[in-house]
Amino acid sequence: MTLIFAMVPAVVLAAVLAAALYHQWQRVRNLQRQLQAAAADLESLQNACARLAPAGVVQRLVADGIQLDAGPAAEGKVATALFVDLIGFTAMSERLEPEILLRIINGYYQRVSEAISEHRGHVGSFVGDGIVAYFGVIQPNPWQCDDAVHAALAIRASTRAYNAELAREGLPPIAIGIGIDRGPGFAGLMGSRERREYAFIGRPVNLAARLQALTRLHGVDILVSEALRTDLDPGFILTPMPAAAVKGFAEPMVTYAVEGRSADRERVAE
Amino acid sequence: MASALEHVAWETCLVDPQPDRALEAYARQKTGIPVPSIRYFTPVPWLARALIDLHPEYGLLLHLDQNVADLLTLIVSQENSCRFCYAVQRMLLWGQGMSEARIQRLEQELSAGLAPRTAAAIAFGRTQSRLGPAAARDACQALRRAGFGEEEMKEIAFTVAATDFLNRAYTIPAIPVRALERMPDQLLSWLLRPIINRIMERHRSRGQATPLERAPSYPYARLIERCAGLPSAPVLGRIIEEMWVSPHLTRRCKLLIFAVIARGLGCEVCAQEISKALEAEGLNEPMLARVLTHLDAPELDETERLLMRFARETIWFEPAALQRRARSLRDRLSVPQLIEVIGVTALSNGLCRMNAMVMDHS
Repeated sequence: MTLIFAMVPAVVLAAVLAAALYHQWQRVRNLQRQLQAAAADLESLQNACARLAPAGVVQRLVADGIQLDAGPAAEGKVATALFVDLIGFTAMSERLEPEILLRIINGYYQRVSEAISEHRGHVGSFVGDGIVAYFGVIQPNPWQCDDAVHAALAIRASTRAYNAELAREGLPPIAIGIGIDRGPGFAGLMGSRERREYAFIGRPVNLAARLQALTRLHGVDILVSEALRTDLDPGFILTPMPAAAVKGFAEPMVTYAVEGRSADRERVAE
Repeated sequence: MASALEHVAWETCLVDPQPDRALEAYARQKTGIPVPSIRYFTPVPWLARALIDLHPEYGLLLHLDQNVADLLTLIVSQENSCRFCYAVQRMLLWGQGMSEARIQRLEQELSAGLAPRTAAAIAFGRTQSRLGPAAARDACQALRRAGFGEEEMKEIAFTVAATDFLNRAYTIPAIPVRALERMPDQLLSWLLRPIINRIMERHRSRGQATPLERAPSYPYARLIERCAGLPSAPVLGRIIEEMWVSPHLTRRCKLLIFAVIARGLGCEVCAQEISKALEAEGLNEPMLARVLTHLDAPELDETERLLMRFARETIWFEPAALQRRARSLRDRLSVPQLIEVIGVTALSNGLCRMNAMVMDHS
C-alpha cells in the first residue's frame, strides 16, 4: 500500500514530464516547419534569380553579398562572345498578331538558350530580338572557341527544326545571323546603384554584334573573326569572305563563314 | 528535414550494384557500419577501396581539426551539388549531435557564428570549388593570415581534394540518394542515432605521422613526396599506383584524361608533370599540344577521343547534365571501363586541385 502511495506521485510526475516533452517536441516540429518553409522560399528565390543571372554568380552574390558602394567589381578575362539576331523581325512584327509573335520569339529564345547552355556558354542578355552569349566568362574554358562554334551550329540546326514546326502551323519561318569573336574584356556586375547585371564588355562583344550584322551582306548565317579562326579546331569547315568594312573598325575585315564540321570529326564528336 | 540540395536534379542510376563480400567486409571493418553504396563500384576494386579509404575522418588527419574537416566536407559537397555526399555528411554531423538549425545556418552560407579559422577554411573550400587552381594563391594567403600552418594547409587541401573526388565519384553515376536524404526524418534513425554515432566514433581516429615506404614513381609523385609524413600521403600514393595498374583503360588514356583536367583547370604544375609521363608513352609535346587544344587529333583512338571529351565535363558541372553525358558512354564502354572512367576523372579532379595548392604555394 505504501508502495502504491509512493508510486502515484512518481507516475504523475512522469506524466507531467511526458506531456511537457510532447509539448516541446510539437513546438520544435512547428519551428522546424517554419524554418523549412523559409528555406524553401529562399531556395525558390535563388532559383528565380538564376533565371536572371548565371547560377554561379547568384551563389557568389548570396555568399558575398552585393556591396553597393564598392562600385562594379569587374575582372579582366579572355572570353568568346556570340551574338545572335533574328533577320527580318521588324517586318514579321508588322505582319503577325502580337500573341503569335510573342510565341514565336519565345520559342526562338528557348532553343537558342538551350543550344548555348548545352555547349557550356551562358546567355548574357536578350537585346530586343538579339541574344548575347559568352563562353569562358564564369569559369576558365580553354576550349571556348570550339564551344562557341559548336553552339552556333546547334542554333542553326534547332532553327531549322523550329521552322519545320512553324511551317506545320502555317506560320512564317525565322532566319538568324550569328557573329562570334574572342578576345580580352571585363566581366562582372555592372550597372547603376539601383540596377546591375552580370556582363562581359569589350571588343569581342562589339565585334560579334558587327559580324552578326555582316551576315546579311555576305548572305551567310554564321561568321567568325580572324582571331577566333586562329584558335579554332581545324575540323570546322570555314569559307573566307571578302574583306568588308565593319562599323567602328578602321580597316576592312576578312571574316569566315562556318559551313559545318568535316564528316570524320563529326562521327566521333558527340 | 529537407536538405538544401533536394531541388538539384539527379538522374536515375547509371550502374547496377554488384555484391562483393570481400570489399563490403573491408568497408564495414573500416567504418563500423554497412556501406551499401560500395556495391556500385565493385567491378573496379581500386575505386571501391578508394571510396572508403579517402575519408579524412578515418585516420588521415594529423594537424587539421576534425570538426573543421567535417564542415569543409559538407560545404565542398554543397558547392559541387553532390546530393549523395552532402546527405552522408549531413547525417554524420546530425549523428554527432549538431542541431538542424546549425546545419541549416551552414547551408545558408552563414559563417558568422564560426571561429575565424574555421570560417577561413570554409571560404577556402568554397573558392577552390568555384574557381579551382586559378584562385589557389590568394586562397593560401588567406589561410596563412587566419593562422594556419603549412602542414594544416596541406591537410585542408587534402580534405577538399578528397571531397572533390568523392563528390564526382558519386555524382557521375547518379548513385541513389533519396533513402539517405530521408533518414533524419525517420523515427528509427532518431532512435538509432546515439548507437550509430557511437559505432562511427569508435572507428573515427586521428592519424599518425606516417613515413612513405618508398619513393613514388608515378605522375603526381612530387605531390606525394611533398606531403610525406602526413598520414594521407601513403594512402593517396597507394590509390594512385593502383589506379595506374588497373587494366580497364590504358595508361595513356588515363594520362590523357589527367592532361585534359589539368588544362581545363589551368594548372601548369600538373600539366608539366603529366606531359612528361605522356612523352614516355610516345606522345611528344607538340603532338600533345595539338591533342589538348581541340581534344581531337588523328593520333587518338576512338576511346581516347570519347573520354577526353567526357573528362572536361567533369571539371565544372551541373549534376544532371553530367549524368546524362555519362549515360551516353554506356553503349560504347564495358561496365568496368565506365566505372574506371568515373574513378579516373574523379581522382584527377581532386589531385589537380590539391597539386595546384601544395606544389605551387607551400
